[in-house]
Amino acid sequence: MTQAAMGAPVVSFENVRKHYGRVKAVDGLTMELRPGETVAFLGPNGAGKSTSLDMLLNLRKPTSGRIRMFGSDPYHAIKAGRVGAMLQSGGLMPEVTVRELVALVTGFHPRPVPVEQTLKRAGIAGFAGQRVDKLSGGQTQRVRFALAIVGDCDLIVLDEPTTAMDVETRQAFWANMKVEVAEGKTLLFATHYLEEADQAADRIIVINKGRLLADGTPSQIKARAGAKRISFRLDRIDEPFILGLPALVNVEIRHDLVQIQSSDSDRTLYALLDAGYRPREIEVSSLGLEQAFLAITAEDDNSTAAGGHDSATEPAAGFARNGA
Amino acid sequence: MYATTTSYQQNTISYAPDKETGTMDSTLALARAEVRRLGRNKRYSIFSVGLPVVLYLVIAPTVKHVTAYGVAYAAYYMIAMASIGAFSGALTGNAQRISQERKDGWVRQLRLTPLPANAYVIAKIIASMVITVPSIAIVLLLGRFYGNVHMELWKWFAVGGTIWIGSLTFTALAVAIGYRFVPDSVQPIAMFVYFLMSILGGLWFALSGFLAKIGQVLPTYQITRIGTDLISSHSVPATAYITVFAWFAGFVVLAVLAVRGTRETV
Repeated sequence: MTQAAMGAPVVSFENVRKHYGRVKAVDGLTMELRPGETVAFLGPNGAGKSTSLDMLLNLRKPTSGRIRMFGSDPYHAIKAGRVGAMLQSGGLMPEVTVRELVALVTGFHPRPVPVEQTLKRAGIAGFAGQRVDKLSGGQTQRVRFALAIVGDCDLIVLDEPTTAMDVETRQAFWANMKVEVAEGKTLLFATHYLEEADQAADRIIVINKGRLLADGTPSQIKARAGAKRISFRLDRIDEPFILGLPALVNVEIRHDLVQIQSSDSDRTLYALLDAGYRPREIEVSSLGLEQAFLAITAEDDNSTAAGGHDSATEPAAGFARNGA
Repeated sequence: MYATTTSYQQNTISYAPDKETGTMDSTLALARAEVRRLGRNKRYSIFSVGLPVVLYLVIAPTVKHVTAYGVAYAAYYMIAMASIGAFSGALTGNAQRISQERKDGWVRQLRLTPLPANAYVIAKIIASMVITVPSIAIVLLLGRFYGNVHMELWKWFAVGGTIWIGSLTFTALAVAIGYRFVPDSVQPIAMFVYFLMSILGGLWFALSGFLAKIGQVLPTYQITRIGTDLISSHSVPATAYITVFAWFAGFVVLAVLAVRGTRETV
């Protein structure tokens, strides 16, 4: 991966904006994908993920800024068969069988993959003879995935690929995806399942309100949000002191129970002990990506919005924050 | 039918050496798939092949010793029924499908493939041209062997060809409507245009007097008259061709505007 990461970018967004009237769906997004990377694209609903993917795939034109794919404009890269994509909004041709459809789209590619191989990899060989309009939601989703891998392409773009899949299918899906990635393909996927991003991605890009919020490995993202959660019990809590502890990201106090999210748990804990406190039931644990994600986006929402109207995303009341 | 292994091999061969041929092959492959779909669609077969055939079988023998537009009624009715089948197939079939496929995201999906941007519309037009052939041919054969219509061989091809080319007018309109409106609106709009054009164009019954004056501005009327004039060896007035071409050009402009206008949202 380190070797691959040195190559020229597969995709680059340069200060890309997409405005619909006064709504800034994407507002100055700059990012890069390098060859061979598996990148998860995260963001709350309405963050601009779908609009960004639409622009990347030439379905929408940016208001300003520039998107490049393999050094040219996305249209040419797509028409040269270098990209396989699956969108939430993508549909299938009805009144044909699954095999006919896969064979048809395979035929459009300059570097076609054998139809039987695609059917097998997408896990749809079992119902290849069925008509496309008679499939279940999960089956349809897999056929759409199949259409993204019918060509031997260099970049795969998937928008929430495992929605509508059951747990078993989802695991099978990622096992198949690993085969594709092992062939050196670059993968960009948007997802709602943070666990998926944590397990599958080399890199996570978090966007919120159309802007890049965080970009790094899953562990860097977790570190950024405060990598560790410290919890302890303490009688006679001195609230101002607790809030003044170093490396704090987030504090929650309930009666004698204190829960701290910290970017440096050692420093936070030593400061507490050095001040003479002797807390009980000390626990230090790693923060999951989900909490990290919520913390990062909540922080962004609070710093940009005037009021604290979006408390729904915050863990609890009694919430304080220190620049991480 | 698609034999998967052979289709894969064919593609490998045709794509590798020449990119341009590959692009055309893709468009034709999509058109073939469209034809296959239409062939499987019962609704389509009933309205654009079944209905005109049944009407011709029932009505043509009942009207004897009557002429319309200067030819035997059986000859006029043959042209009218061939036109109705071809035009309804080109209009109602395509408009509804295009609109639905846009809504379902199939058109978006195609844009993510190496298929050229306009291949979808071109494939629809090609498929429409292919599928109207049987609906015209069957009615003309009925006219010859059941309705006793006689003319020189070249005239059969000229009459059939006129209706066939004329149906392109309605394919263009179908593209315009399909791209512009959502599926729920397409159905009533297409049906309204279909009945207006077919009734006032004299496809259900021959027009005379005041109705003919109104009808003559419509392409449906003029296409029928070109056919009957060919049979009766009348010279076809230039206004007939001009009228048909004007409608065709107008619908093409609407279609291009509709396709362009929806490029952003697909």
